Amino acid sequence: MTRSHGGRSVPVRSALARSLDRALAMVAVLAGILGAVYLALIPVEDPARPLIAASAVMFWVYVGIGVVAWQRRPSNPLGMLIVLAGVMIHLGTVGNTGVPFLVAVGAVCATLILPAMLHLLLAFPTGYLITWPARAVVIAGYTLSTALQAPQYLFDADGPAPDLVIVDAPDLAAAALSVQVAAGAVVMGATVVILVGRLRRADAAHRRVLVPLFSYGIFAAVATPLSGRLVWAPLGVDPLIGIAAQYLVITGVPVAFALGMLRGGFARTGQLEELGTWLGTAAASRELLSAALARALGDPSLELYFWAAARGCFVDADGHPAPAPAAHRGWAQIVLDGRVIGAIEYDRALLVDEELVRTAGNVVAIAVDRERLTAELRANRRALLRSRERLVEAADRERRRIARDLHDGLQAQLVMLAVDAQRLASADPDAVHARATRLRHDIDTAAADLRRLVHDLVPAALIERGLFAAAEELADRMPIPTRLVGAVGVLGDAIADTAYFVIAEGLTNVVKHSQAGSAVVRLEVHGDELVLDLRDDGIGGAQVERGTGLRGLADRVDAAGGTFALTSTPTEGTRLCVTLPCGS
Amino acid sequence: MRDTALRIVIAEDETLIRRGLQLLLEEAGHDVVAAVGDAGRLREAVAAHAPDLVVTDIRMPPTHTDEGLLAALAIRAAHPATGVVVLSQHVQRSYARELLSSGAGGVGYLLKQRISDIETFLHDLAAVATGATVLDPEVVAVMVDRASRAASAVGCLTPRQREVLALVAEGCSNASIAAKLFLTEKAVVQHMSRIYDALGLPADADVHRRVQAVIHYLDDA
Repeated sequence: MTRSHGGRSVPVRSALARSLDRALAMVAVLAGILGAVYLALIPVEDPARPLIAASAVMFWVYVGIGVVAWQRRPSNPLGMLIVLAGVMIHLGTVGNTGVPFLVAVGAVCATLILPAMLHLLLAFPTGYLITWPARAVVIAGYTLSTALQAPQYLFDADGPAPDLVIVDAPDLAAAALSVQVAAGAVVMGATVVILVGRLRRADAAHRRVLVPLFSYGIFAAVATPLSGRLVWAPLGVDPLIGIAAQYLVITGVPVAFALGMLRGGFARTGQLEELGTWLGTAAASRELLSAALARALGDPSLELYFWAAARGCFVDADGHPAPAPAAHRGWAQIVLDGRVIGAIEYDRALLVDEELVRTAGNVVAIAVDRERLTAELRANRRALLRSRERLVEAADRERRRIARDLHDGLQAQLVMLAVDAQRLASADPDAVHARATRLRHDIDTAAADLRRLVHDLVPAALIERGLFAAAEELADRMPIPTRLVGAVGVLGDAIADTAYFVIAEGLTNVVKHSQAGSAVVRLEVHGDELVLDLRDDGIGGAQVERGTGLRGLADRVDAAGGTFALTSTPTEGTRLCVTLPCGS
Repeated sequence: MRDTALRIVIAEDETLIRRGLQLLLEEAGHDVVAAVGDAGRLREAVAAHAPDLVVTDIRMPPTHTDEGLLAALAIRAAHPATGVVVLSQHVQRSYARELLSSGAGGVGYLLKQRISDIETFLHDLAAVATGATVLDPEVVAVMVDRASRAASAVGCLTPRQREVLALVAEGCSNASIAAKLFLTEKAVVQHMSRIYDALGLPADADVHRRVQAVIHYLDDA
């Protein structure tokens, strides 16, 4: 996980992860000290000193690799199991120091490394013993190497720990050893059966990792107790060399497990886990999300795209449409609740397993969806701002029109009426009657103009009788046959005003552009929605993008929280369908 | 006009128009028994004075919607002897329809600006007070235009016949139609019978009933 700071990459880890780091560092330091103490305690005169020293190295290798694996995959206990196996080895070899107490400890723990290895084998790759046979086998293994180990140091005075002997009964010790070996063989056989079963169920990709790992693990577990007795002694090889070879085999075990866990086909669990950790810890931003995916999947060229439903295409973080992927690029869609919400474009040469990419995408799906929604929200906000600007512009335009109408029309009329009235005062008395009547007619005309102007702003019918009466009046005054159908009751002023505006503008458009022979206006309330359907049988071709009329309608409907749909074809005329929320 | 002096109640919330109307009616010799500013007091005044005629605005306090019209309809129903003239800034078909729905006549529906043509206005008031029906030429024009655009027989009438039809709908008598169109009354009667044939309406000499029939026909078209 990296976050870019001024071009530099610095690791991002949670407080919990940092705490784990510190604890693991202490484990490593402690192991170093224990190993050093052990080395210091080895008698200088011991001829096998280099070999005994090698067992400390073995301990360090186990703890070191275990700590690394633990740190890289904190929720997978395999790392911890490797560390524990190292501790078992150390306990089994501390007897080499010759210190009586440590000799006793060494005798008690001599064979614990064997069940620890079985445990590792059976817990791979999750770190857990999931099935009951696996658990039974591991418990049996630990029991054998503790309970059946006891007779060796309790009853054999010539055995590894003379201090612990309570009764000298070598026969009993030998019998117990036979039982331990026989039972150990059974446990080992059971382990092999379980592992073979797992291999058969695994797919090809997993088998590539499991077969060598299991083979090596079983080989190590079998070779450790038997090699000294069955291989090296009959061959007459120096027992020290035999032990050295055995150490080498045992040291290889953690390396194999760590490789299998961190690399190989089982990396998936870890990668997904890492993404999960990232989701929980990092304050996600778009850049970070794609970076986390790229890092977790190991493909720096990986690109993350979001599904933009409104535009019907995938877009990048900046809202640019995704280019068509090149031939060598893979494409995995991210699905959340059955909806496609994004896609990952990746390099097929680096990431062979498409399923892994898809799964990783689904792990971060919610984060991707959040990013997508954020991007959508930004786009909506921009659209909203533009719509608001247009509404303000429309209002300004309308105000200017009213001012112009009042100034050019009514004001001019009033001036001329005042002039006429003044001339009447000095007119020939015989002509006064006719001129006064004409003046009255002119005033009527001015009054009628004013009435029309006011009516155009807010129609009397809308105020007095509501939307349906006002719509009826609009239909009545259409120059083509226009039917009004449906029924609506009392509506809120804002909704009625908006609906009236839509009908008035819609019918104006029909008259101006459609060349229609007739029109139908349908007004209905469905649930808590006012549905307004306006159709004509004209030439079609109406577009929201063209001109300000329909755009203004769409904006007003949008501002009222409604929906706006326009279909306009030469064969079927134009249909404008608007819904407005009219619930309380 | 002293001999046809009417007892009138005025309802109009605009003080200026209320006073002007009162002045105009009193100058014409009528007796304005009450001049009120809202529909509630209009009903009280009608109940108190039982006037010959009510002249009311449509839009008045408190809601400034259609309370004047509702009061007019209620008064026509409760006081058959009282004629009602409804004034409005703007005319529309649905109001004409509702005012005529009682079928009893004695109603008028006029644009407010018709007041300025004092002579015609006073004549219309007198007609309504005697049970006639008077509709504003504008609302009739809207109805005739609409009916002639719709697929109805009105569209087949000649322009002259449509003129006659409109005047019938406005509530004019044959004599006044003849005077307005510079025709003889006989010619008007001929036009009328052709119009009635075309529209399939029964011939009726009664001015009020034929207004009802024509308006009903136009409204349904």
